[in-house]
Amino acid sequence: MKNQIYFKVLLSLLALTILAAFVAKFGFDLKATAAIILALFMVKFLGVAFYFMQLKKAHFFWKSAVLIFVSIFLAIVFVSV
Amino acid sequence: MNLVKIDSKNIYYPPGGILMWIILFLELLTFGMALVAMVIYSKDEPEVFHSSRLLLNSTFGLVNTIFLLTSGFFMVKSVESFKVNNIKKSSLYLKLTMLGGFLFLLLKSFEYFEKIEAGLSIGYNTFFSFYWMLTLFHVIHVLVGLVILSSVYFSLNKKNMDLAVEDFEASATFWHMCDLIWLLLFPIIYLIF
Repeated sequence: MKNQIYFKVLLSLLALTILAAFVAKFGFDLKATAAIILALFMVKFLGVAFYFMQLKKAHFFWKSAVLIFVSIFLAIVFVSV
Repeated sequence: MNLVKIDSKNIYYPPGGILMWIILFLELLTFGMALVAMVIYSKDEPEVFHSSRLLLNSTFGLVNTIFLLTSGFFMVKSVESFKVNNIKKSSLYLKLTMLGGFLFLLLKSFEYFEKIEAGLSIGYNTFFSFYWMLTLFHVIHVLVGLVILSSVYFSLNKKNMDLAVEDFEASATFWHMCDLIWLLLFPIIYLIF
């Protein structure tokens, strides 16, 4: 059961990676393309952190620290791009 | 094998160990700030950044992301197998994890060779200065990760194996950190400009 979850997470991460590359290749509006790519990045980042790194089993502090980091990073990049 | 039940819900014991997580945050902050600087610099030279980004082969970046994510998956399986005392499987998955890392480095070397051949070195323009500094710094992390995993692999295959779960998890956390850093680099360097 656990193995299946990890495999599903891997498949989702690979699909999101391919989707991001596809959007970058065919997206026409820079801001909209950047928003989609960054949103996909956030999901992948959290997928690796929460599942592969077992963050979902960790204390609330570590979960929120990762969420805060990725949110601030994305907000700054999105505003600056 | 030393199997001690660790309460990951305790703030002082995140999976992989608190020191590893402190290092992880420092690394993420370092790469994060450099990437933010890169994005801010791109506002001054948007055409240079766009045309330079098009000189990169995003398929290489995509394939390298697939290598690292798959490698991370095998790392999880290796740790899981170790926890149920299936050393043989754990060792096999660890080999697959390292294979992912080696394939990443192989493709990256090919990409670097292409760039150097085309004269796109670190001083070519601002975009390539960031490209070389950030990706090379990441490659160093992958190399260090492979050294750590090799040491775990040899410990795992010793006759009197005395590898602790915490050490294995800390090594796995370092390897996943290489994934996370690459996940930060890939969209910004290869896709958004």
